[in-house]
Amino acid sequence: MDPIREHELFETRRALFRRGGSVAAASGLMSLLARDGLFSTPALAGSPTGGDDRQPPVPLHFAPKAKRVVFLHMVGGPSQMDLFDYKPVMNDWYDKDLPESIRSGQRLTTMTSGQARFPIAPSKYKFAQYGQNGMWVSEMLPHTAKMVDDLCFVRSMQTEDINHEPAMSRMQTGNQLPGKPCIGSWISYGLGSMNDDLPTFVVMVARPTNREQIQAISARLWSSGFLPGEHAGVSLRSAGDPILYIQNPQGVPVGVRREMLDGLNALNELNLRQMGDPETHTRIGQYELAFRMQASVPELTNTAGEPESTYQLYGEEARKPGTFAASLLLTRRMLERGVRFVQIYHNNWDHHGNLPGRMAYQCKDVDQPCYGFIQDLKRTGMLDDTLVIWGGEFGRTIYSQGGLSHDNYGRDHHPRCFTMWMAGGGSKAGLIHGETDEFSYNVVKDPVQIRDFHATLLRLLGYDHERFTYRYQGLDQKLTSVDPAHVVKELMA
Amino acid sequence: MRRSKETYVATGMHALLAFALALATAPAVAGDDPPVQFNRDVRPILTETCFACHGPDAAARKADLRLDVRDEAVEMGAIEPGEPDESTLVERIFSDEKTEMMPPPKSRKHLTAEQKDTLKRWIAQGAEYQAHWSLIAPERPESPTVSDASWVRNPIDAFVMARLDKEGLKPAPEADRRTLARRLSLDLVGLPPAPAEVEAFVADESPDAYEKYVDALLRSPSWGEHRGRYWLDVARYADTHGYHFDNYREMWSYRDWVIDAFNANMPFDRFTVEQLAGDLLPNPSLSQLVASGFNRCAMSTNEGGTIAEENLVGYTRDRTETVGAVYLGLTVGCAVCHDHKFDPLPQRELYELSAFFNNTTQPAYDGNVKDSKPVVPVPRAEDAERWEALPGLIAGAQAAVDARAKEARGSFDAWLAAQTPEALAAAAPDDDLVLNVGLPQGRPAAGAPRVEHQSPAIGDFEKDQAFSYAAWIKIPAKGAEGAVLARMDDAHGYRGWDLWLTGRKVGTHIVGEWPKDALRVLTTEDVPTDVWTHVLITYDGKGKAGGVKIHVDGKPRATTVTNDSLASSIRTDVPLKVGSRQVGSKSEGVGIAEVRVYARELSDADAADLAGLGRVADLLAKPVDGRSPAEVDAAFAWWLAGRDPVARDLSARLAALKKEREDILTRGTVAYVMHEKSEEASAFLLFRGEYDQRRDPLKAATPKALPPMPDDLPRDRLGFAKWLLRPEHPLTSRVTVNRFWQQLFGEGLVRTAGDFGVSGEAPSHPELLDWLAVEFRESGWDVKRFYKLMVTSSTYRQSAATTPEKLEKDPSNRLLARGPRFRMDAEMVRDYALAASGLLVDKLGGPSVRPYQPDGVWEAVAMPESNTKSYVRDTGEGLYRRSLYTFWKRAAPPASMETFNAPSREVCTVRRERTDTPLQALVTLNDPQFVEAARVLAQRVLVEAPSFEARADALARRVLSRPFRAEETAIVRQSRDRLAAYYADHADDAERLLTVGDAPRAPGVPAAEAAAWTMVASQVLNLDEALNK
Repeated sequence: MDPIREHELFETRRALFRRGGSVAAASGLMSLLARDGLFSTPALAGSPTGGDDRQPPVPLHFAPKAKRVVFLHMVGGPSQMDLFDYKPVMNDWYDKDLPESIRSGQRLTTMTSGQARFPIAPSKYKFAQYGQNGMWVSEMLPHTAKMVDDLCFVRSMQTEDINHEPAMSRMQTGNQLPGKPCIGSWISYGLGSMNDDLPTFVVMVARPTNREQIQAISARLWSSGFLPGEHAGVSLRSAGDPILYIQNPQGVPVGVRREMLDGLNALNELNLRQMGDPETHTRIGQYELAFRMQASVPELTNTAGEPESTYQLYGEEARKPGTFAASLLLTRRMLERGVRFVQIYHNNWDHHGNLPGRMAYQCKDVDQPCYGFIQDLKRTGMLDDTLVIWGGEFGRTIYSQGGLSHDNYGRDHHPRCFTMWMAGGGSKAGLIHGETDEFSYNVVKDPVQIRDFHATLLRLLGYDHERFTYRYQGLDQKLTSVDPAHVVKELMA
Repeated sequence: MRRSKETYVATGMHALLAFALALATAPAVAGDDPPVQFNRDVRPILTETCFACHGPDAAARKADLRLDVRDEAVEMGAIEPGEPDESTLVERIFSDEKTEMMPPPKSRKHLTAEQKDTLKRWIAQGAEYQAHWSLIAPERPESPTVSDASWVRNPIDAFVMARLDKEGLKPAPEADRRTLARRLSLDLVGLPPAPAEVEAFVADESPDAYEKYVDALLRSPSWGEHRGRYWLDVARYADTHGYHFDNYREMWSYRDWVIDAFNANMPFDRFTVEQLAGDLLPNPSLSQLVASGFNRCAMSTNEGGTIAEENLVGYTRDRTETVGAVYLGLTVGCAVCHDHKFDPLPQRELYELSAFFNNTTQPAYDGNVKDSKPVVPVPRAEDAERWEALPGLIAGAQAAVDARAKEARGSFDAWLAAQTPEALAAAAPDDDLVLNVGLPQGRPAAGAPRVEHQSPAIGDFEKDQAFSYAAWIKIPAKGAEGAVLARMDDAHGYRGWDLWLTGRKVGTHIVGEWPKDALRVLTTEDVPTDVWTHVLITYDGKGKAGGVKIHVDGKPRATTVTNDSLASSIRTDVPLKVGSRQVGSKSEGVGIAEVRVYARELSDADAADLAGLGRVADLLAKPVDGRSPAEVDAAFAWWLAGRDPVARDLSARLAALKKEREDILTRGTVAYVMHEKSEEASAFLLFRGEYDQRRDPLKAATPKALPPMPDDLPRDRLGFAKWLLRPEHPLTSRVTVNRFWQQLFGEGLVRTAGDFGVSGEAPSHPELLDWLAVEFRESGWDVKRFYKLMVTSSTYRQSAATTPEKLEKDPSNRLLARGPRFRMDAEMVRDYALAASGLLVDKLGGPSVRPYQPDGVWEAVAMPESNTKSYVRDTGEGLYRRSLYTFWKRAAPPASMETFNAPSREVCTVRRERTDTPLQALVTLNDPQFVEAARVLAQRVLVEAPSFEARADALARRVLSRPFRAEETAIVRQSRDRLAAYYADHADDAERLLTVGDAPRAPGVPAAEAAAWTMVASQVLNLDEALNK
């Protein structure tokens, strides 16, 4: 293995890409500057739908159903009984105490553990049945209601954590303590990249319209943990540079950058010959990838070419950078360009008080964009192998936190049951899985732990969660951690 | 699973058969058979394949069989030493029966034929176990004999060369002086050497030139910054609490302590004791208390709804895991939920260990405040001496005040006896007194009598006129609303002024036109209720709220200003009224007496007199035996302050000293410290690690697999620290020297620097590691000496250039047949650009700074309530300090550094990752910090050097510590020429590029030239060579 020879081979390939020949022999500044503005983006890898025939770095265990994932995390924990888990009987229980038998042994947050009573707050919203399966959906989600036949609902999700930090950590990494890799990092590690000039795993933090009770979101949620650092999520920002430092400094057009890089590469090549360090070769490659990203990322985020119909589909909010709708539009564009995993955080679902006052904003932020996004994926055929996931880190209590009236109430965190939905990517369209008791308090049928959910997700991507491991501290570490996890076959098409 | 008799018979037969077969083939006679070494040959197999079910973890153990303890394995018959064919282990691993074979098929583990053979031979040779290598105390090995003794500068080289000899490799030649200067400077102080420093070193022909250069670097204060920076990763130091709000935490005094400790070459044993237990030392110094902040660097939360006990369990766990990784090199966290799978650390012992760190008074919630308790004040260095002296001085001054009071009591009593109401009234300030309405009956104790008074002539003041107004008032307990005294025209924009009450606060309005054109000032604190209270308001006539003072009972009080804009006249035709404004705002239920108005600003002394004389008058009105001691004492205190010059001077001195103390506190900082609870250190065993699943209560104890803790050591953090440092301790010294080695060579001798346990990697040079560990300990834990030892070795001084042969045999340079070469850490990459450009501000310590960072990095993740939500970058020197001073927000670490694998500092990091990504290229190409550095570097060479050659040479020497080679110069020239041509044609672009960053442009440098050289400088700063050590 002679790094210099290897590098020369690499150079040959690079020359083809750059159609320029060796740097030292590059033909004069004027021709270089003539490229300025004409300089074209290298052809995007793969087909327009991001198809790609490269092999995953970690071999698959099963034929995959999905090869891309979009995880829409509703930060704070949406109220299941106000959106999907219809409990009409509760109207008769207004302001009555939650029976002790239902609450039995439940660990409460210290925000309500001191409450003298636990008065039941029935949902104030009207529900109706939709679709072939007759799924009950709240009036707050009229667009989602239209597509229930495309969705796979799990009303029996369960978690163990009652506060945001650990619960979000568990949802994203399988463990309540920080330091473990998140789902996106696992997928990046396993399946690798499908493109040549964009990250594999992208994270966006959408800005909610209402910001009454924002929860902390930190980079630890998209950390690669003990997996190699390149699998950490790359944050795509809605303001400023979409990717940190992607823009050349002012006064440095692309031609100048190319000139500077050509000189840099030539000098690095000399150094490589001198020192023989293969890392030098890698670095030259990474500078070239950075250069390609500088073209591909602005192209990705420039939505000027999107037709009017896009905004009819996703809603007008999609024109405003940073909204959930705009983030979903960017997600579609990323999927088209071969991004493997997109994570969106939408905040302010933590409705301890004034739930009705805030729910309208939350639902308006996400309802139509989710609908539009799913339709868009169907239109392009990408829904078949793209798994879309919607949900929070836990649910909310049937009893009111703080004051209760028919029109106003708040709800505390509730880990024992909550609702998530999936679409596409081999999930079973039209399914309604799991049931809760009449208080939406305990799961009475088909509970799904977060680790089961993770196992199922990996299964859809072609991995056996028991065998999809990474050796760290002497153990074969898994996303599903140590407690036994089960693939929920019913959720699979 | 005891073996039955039948099994014995069966295996016996099997053994006979096997024996027969063995005879038939080549018999393995003892002596011929190469000896199997447990640690080298057997343990890895057992660890990988068997220990998960038959190892230390009792809960996961199958069939009650453990193979990690010889006696138990023998007792169970799994191993019959010397009798492989009597051993069920051998039988089972060679079995083809699905139900019999080990490892079982469903474990998905597998033994190769060679591994099976090894196990069998090991048993045949007697199945000798060895303790895991890292648990046996290191002894100093003999230096080995090597092929080329002339290469050996110190024993490090002997151990390294012995291994190279074995592998058939030769060391690389020594690197040239310039390379060595750069390497030494980067390794010892973290900065590139100045060109002149390099040349001086190159020119120094004395035999000890190298040593002298090393010593100079070790003396530089930058040494402490650089070494400290590695330690801060270990200590997980940061400037925010971490969880939830992730608010500011002011604990940079700990960071500065670390820097100072390295600069003072504090021996590592003391360094350890002070950090783990500084607070438990006898009469700890402030510095030792600051050091105890090591255990306070852990993250904390104030999230509403979290459970206190769960938080506390989490904090203790973090402290335990940190100490485990830093000193024991063990992943003790693995035993939080169950017995350790590989290492001899049962869950129970983990919780015994955690008890040492479970005995702190730190609360479960950090309160979202910057100085979360327990903390101690830390004065600035220049105040330190005075700070030490002040308590004594204050006590002395207080004693003098008290003595004077005793002495003067007789004089006061005589004075009081001589007073009459008339004399007291005459003593009140009366210069410019324009109104004095008293109550005929004085201030009766009960009820709320009010004066009723109205005067059109009095109080017709203008806003540029100083005036004061006072009254005795008695507010009901529920508070009151309305005017005590006013000359105010309600009907015309409330023009005028008043003394008014709102709730239990007293204040004033001075109004041209309410509310835009007015001052409104009120007391911040409530005034007493249901007692007669003196209130005086003074106004200095300057039209600002700052010129309004409110005195309550003779003392100026803190005020709150709500309106502070007065432009027009405050004069009005309405009369002065007591008890209300012109029309409304009658202060119902409020007693009012002795209203005074002055046409001047009364002094603080006047204020004290007005109140004090009133109190004395009250006293006089009572019979002598009806006066309470408290009343008399209060009058005496007033008399001392105002009527006794000696006492006044002594009080002033005391007040000045106290103020000095306050001032030192205010301009100083605080230190987060450990504070031990009074009870004995203890913890509960937590089932599955869950905070609410308490099992046995446990006392603090060290793990049994390690040397015992002597009885005379206290069972607290201090005892623990001393135990760590005992000569027989197998880990502390090894783990520490390994991290030091890792800093210089890129990888430790044990690559898993935080895991010296069974599942960690074995050392590449075990004897060298042991030699270093003993050497370090026996040198008195001398850190500078240890680094000097490493950097003066031939091993360190090798050229980093590699050959295809070496790459083939040793791609990651584990054998050390070449010098170290690897990408620098994030901080070094940034500091390098700052230093090479001359922008670096060389200032030690202090509050953390906020250099350039793209907008929105904090905002994207922070909660709206967080006080580290908005990143406001510094101007001036804060932009150019060394990177270890950059403000570290845990939820969003410094963006450019995080890209270069800087950790979030949420938990202890003993080894950083080192990736190479396109995002890193974007940082050094585009981050304004780096663009500005390139720009300033460019203008520097343009100003300093006249020709292209001289400029290119200066650039190379500043960045690479060497001149360019001819072929490099040619490339740089081509870049320069093309870029200069572009910028000559695009003056706008040149101008725009030259305005990146705050640093001023050099006057008189042509823009096109400066822009072209900026890009060339950026090119050189981005060289692989520049980014690598």
